[in-house]
Amino acid sequence: MNFFISNPTIGEPFIVMVTNGTTSFVPSDPANTDYQAYLAWVAEGNTAEEWNPDAD
Amino acid sequence: MPIDFPNSPANGATFSTGDKTWQFDGVSWVLVASNASIGNSAITEAKIASGAVTADKIGALAVTTGKIDSNAVTAGKIASNAVTEGKIDASAVTSAKIAAGAVVEAGIAANAVTTGKLGTDVQLGYRNVVINGAMQIAQRGTSVSGITTSGYRTVDRFQFQVGTMGTWTQTVETDAPFAAAGMNKSVKVLCTTADASPAAGDLVAFVQRIEGQNLQQFLKGADSAKQFTLTFWVKSNVTGTYIAELLDADNTRQVSAAYTVSASGTWEKKTITFPADTTGAFNNDNDTSLTVAWWLGAGTNFTSGTLQTTWVSTVTANRAVGQTNLAAATNNYWQITGVQLEAGSVATPFEFEDFSTTLRKCERYFEKTYEQGVNPAAATNVGFVGAGGPDGVANFYAFPTWRYRTEKRATPTVTIYDIAGNSARITTWQSGFSTNNVTPDNGNWTNGTTAHAVLENGAISGFYYQAVSSAEL
Repeated sequence: MNFFISNPTIGEPFIVMVTNGTTSFVPSDPANTDYQAYLAWVAEGNTAEEWNPDAD
Repeated sequence: MPIDFPNSPANGATFSTGDKTWQFDGVSWVLVASNASIGNSAITEAKIASGAVTADKIGALAVTTGKIDSNAVTAGKIASNAVTEGKIDASAVTSAKIAAGAVVEAGIAANAVTTGKLGTDVQLGYRNVVINGAMQIAQRGTSVSGITTSGYRTVDRFQFQVGTMGTWTQTVETDAPFAAAGMNKSVKVLCTTADASPAAGDLVAFVQRIEGQNLQQFLKGADSAKQFTLTFWVKSNVTGTYIAELLDADNTRQVSAAYTVSASGTWEKKTITFPADTTGAFNNDNDTSLTVAWWLGAGTNFTSGTLQTTWVSTVTANRAVGQTNLAAATNNYWQITGVQLEAGSVATPFEFEDFSTTLRKCERYFEKTYEQGVNPAAATNVGFVGAGGPDGVANFYAFPTWRYRTEKRATPTVTIYDIAGNSARITTWQSGFSTNNVTPDNGNWTNGTTAHAVLENGAISGFYYQAVSSAEL
């Protein structure tokens, strides 16, 4: 599992999660377990890089 | 002493003196009754003519319980309709006085059973807090191999947890205890790479997490807290001791119980009643409050203590003591179905649901645009979400909305696919031609009820996508 940040031309930045080759969009909802995993990942010292869709 | 009978009596006239009564039969006076005391043992059954004792010869209150021999009253001596409700004392009929099988449907009058006659503790429906216990719903697919990490793989709501302990295949099977329990499906985990010597922190388990707001009937934390009764059918080729566990995530408490797989390759029904817990209420919210876990393998971090069979603050070493290592050899397998967790000490029959009810319950946690039976990421346009306009629009802009059939537990993670199955991509449409693998401008506009994919400034006439949303615990 890896996390990125996307900065779309419209809307707020959002978290991109890549798991086993599947790319998903994670909302910043504390009750969302993927967001909880993202926060834990950041707490471990990781920093999400800019999402490059072409790199998927 | 002479008796002075009346002169010229009418036929049938009676005359009494002392303790005797005579009746005139037209010729003479005939003695018909005497109130003289009758000695004990004077009247025996042999001296009473058949038919001599009729109801009009028995005084009111003459028959008392003390005058009836034990076993004297048999069903053959009770006239049809003789026993009415008014003749039965309150509390006279107890369950000990009713023979097994004595009460049959034909013996219960229409409308005789009303809600008011049922105990106040009886929960007639929605007893099972486990969702998809019959393994009927598998929106993600029915077979996944090469599993080395935790995740939701096949049957909805059940997570297979693997912590560096073997490699596994998880499948939905039609092998299930149908004749015995009405189950048509089960879920199976099969070890394909063994780990006979797991590290201390390794584990394999099958779990379901449950929202706190769905658990309030257990009264956990109250003096009146109820027990937890877990029922399931299990089959494995590895006999031995297995551990089932309840984990209270709100209060960091747990309780475990051992069960035995007795026969290899045979469906066995297991019922475990966990004790009530008067400490620590479940939060009444949409987060995980209880995890039901079936351990399949565990390192010494989880097995080095003493199995904890009453609720206490969690001690990791006491959670899975005695657990058999299913990962000890390849081709070891474990199957489960018919899972029910209910409040109280009684294991009631499995609470069957219609397919759509279970599907809607599952969709609170996971939903897809694809048809049931079609796995996410399949190459198909059936069920797509899209928007279109006339050809030749230079700056096409749209955000076709996917409105969920079921509102999600929390704002879900959304994965969109083009119709070729590429994630985070959409399919565009122009002049009769589709183009896959197009990156949308934004895919995160999601809340508990809808999701959007957005495209702007495309020289197209429309676009469409498939999607899944996940708000699993």
